[in-house]
Amino acid sequence: MIGADAAWRARRRARRRRDWLLQGAVALLLVALAVLLARNVAANLEARQIKSGFAFLSDPAGFNIGELLFDYTSRHSYLRAFAIGLSNTLRVALAGVVLASVLGVGIGLLRLSHHPLVSGLCDAYVEVFRNIPLLIQLLAVYLLITELLPGSNDAWSVEGMALLSKEGLQIAVPEPGRLALLCALAAFAVGALLGMHAARRWLEVGAGLVALASGALAALAAWLVVGAVGGWSRPVLDGFLISGGASLTPEFLALWLGLALFTSASIAEIVRAGALAVPAGQWDAALALGMTRAQAIAGAIFPQALRLAVPPLASQYMNLIKNSSLAVVVGYPDLVSIGNTSINQNGQALEVIVIIMAAYLSLNLVVAVVMNAVNARVTRAPR
Amino acid sequence: MSIKHSIPAALAIAAFALPAHAGKTLDAVKARGQLVCGVNTSGPGFSNADSQGRWTGLDVDFCRAVAAAVLNDASKVKFVPLNSQQRFSSLQAGEIDVLSRNSTWTLTRDASLGVVFAGINYFDGQGFMVPKKLKIDSAKKMNGATVCVQAGTTSEKNVADYFGANGMKYKPVVFDTAEAITSAFFAGRCQVYTTDMSDLAGARTKAPNADDYVILPQVISKEPLGPSVRRGDDEWFQIVRWTLFAMIEGEENGLTQANVDEQKTSNKDPGVQRFLGVSEDTGKLLGLDAAWAYRVIKQVGNYGESFERNLGPKTPVALPRGVNNLWTKGGLMYAPPLR
Repeated sequence: MIGADAAWRARRRARRRRDWLLQGAVALLLVALAVLLARNVAANLEARQIKSGFAFLSDPAGFNIGELLFDYTSRHSYLRAFAIGLSNTLRVALAGVVLASVLGVGIGLLRLSHHPLVSGLCDAYVEVFRNIPLLIQLLAVYLLITELLPGSNDAWSVEGMALLSKEGLQIAVPEPGRLALLCALAAFAVGALLGMHAARRWLEVGAGLVALASGALAALAAWLVVGAVGGWSRPVLDGFLISGGASLTPEFLALWLGLALFTSASIAEIVRAGALAVPAGQWDAALALGMTRAQAIAGAIFPQALRLAVPPLASQYMNLIKNSSLAVVVGYPDLVSIGNTSINQNGQALEVIVIIMAAYLSLNLVVAVVMNAVNARVTRAPR
Repeated sequence: MSIKHSIPAALAIAAFALPAHAGKTLDAVKARGQLVCGVNTSGPGFSNADSQGRWTGLDVDFCRAVAAAVLNDASKVKFVPLNSQQRFSSLQAGEIDVLSRNSTWTLTRDASLGVVFAGINYFDGQGFMVPKKLKIDSAKKMNGATVCVQAGTTSEKNVADYFGANGMKYKPVVFDTAEAITSAFFAGRCQVYTTDMSDLAGARTKAPNADDYVILPQVISKEPLGPSVRRGDDEWFQIVRWTLFAMIEGEENGLTQANVDEQKTSNKDPGVQRFLGVSEDTGKLLGLDAAWAYRVIKQVGNYGESFERNLGPKTPVALPRGVNNLWTKGGLMYAPPLR
């Protein structure tokens, strides 16, 4: 017996050694391939007398950008230009994720309605937006905005609080801008806490969503109150420029709406599939306990549906982020658009493409980490 | 979109391409029996494909001239339409033999892209087009305007310099194709469209009503446009450069498509005799035959003919010859002697 045991151990050791050797060899091969590739790249660029390296990042960029979240002029560096591009990508992706989620969850749940008109309309919505290529949708939305809306001289105005024209959407903002922002943030925190507290009582999971929604409502209310008390900065046409207020350009609107509509159709399907995948016995059990239909959805069905929906939802969010790189077709200055311009100013295509790839990879890894954490929470909760 | 095309090109150079060898392009073109020429996707007067896929334009004619000199047949050209971001990557990667796509000759491009400009076939400058109804008569009155501009062009940088120097602000809206810009501009998204004057004239022909738009007189930059080739192949570079000179020299000598056969026998001017390969063989120095310049004129025409046919007053683009006239007529077109 002891002899057989020793032989088994020896075989196991040999097998492990072999496995390690094989894996080591494969890893070594990959590294060697990468080194070979990198050396070949350098040699070829050298042979073709093409400038290479990342030193250009500190050179002045020399071009202007249409939409800025922070200070930038053509005298700033390429690095700062890329940062502007990345911030524009983040802005449209974040706004897109929020709008797509709200629309998607709403439409997805309404598709389950027993009312034929409601579910029919939602079916149509999903089929239309899911089946037309995103590129075409973006161009269509942009065309609608630039062709149908009036010029800035005779913009559609809502009591001077909002202007809609070919220049985009301009809205009035509360006069002491910073104060309004602080109040809105504070209101968001309070609203979210209260919402979380209330939701916890009747929801197992998904209280976070309720908290976000109530926070957003509180922030909006605070924003309006500050405006009503302190006055508004209204958008006013002045020569070419519309000054005052806050503005969303047609390019941003087109990309944002296009991405959100397209992605919301897929999210609606994920939500519906999640709800339908909850065993029918759960409905019966909830109703047998005396819950109303709404209580059953909130307390039993939705929490379980969420568990099923989170992983595919994560990939929809990642898709939305990647799809935002179509920005250049509607003239929105995202990271890829800025990269395009840079490539042509300095010709360093390889370096710029590496930067763009690294940026999207990092963004999506962050989404993956966050969504994995969310997934871990929702799968753990019902136990 | 366009970046998706430049990625394969860049990666191709990066990973797999072998270092270039001098003199290989001519052999490759001859072996292939076809010249591969990079042109503009849509540049009225410079390179434009009609509904039957026939290419016309000043840059297109130049490709044909090179084919006539090298392959004895101006029709043996494959045109590869490229947008402004793809053009240099395409040339670097060896997908095209010549880039003839109204590209501005600048120090950065000449010295750092692995390409070299062979000459200038159109002296251009950047300008502005605005809708007439805005009643702007000077570029100095554009403060605060929204400006449509094409991604990856020298225009993007020039307009930043110009507005900066004049203490004016503007909002750029950047698209990656000329078609996207013109449709946005004519839809009224931008008050101003800026690019090279020749492009503006071409774009104006595509407006719903050309008379609603006016091109401002200010020219804010020098844009010498010309063909370029890959670095490291001097023999090919000389062929491309001297084909351009032959078109200019042909006009100076009064040789046209119509009269070149008759002039070949009747004109006893030693310069013309040399040009047409009757008395001397200038071609062998370039790796070509004696009649190379004759074929350029016979099959494509001289520079002036090409200009009139594609850009002149009788075309929709309707550009005056201006500085692109011969040096003997007050212009800048000048070719070193073919001897």
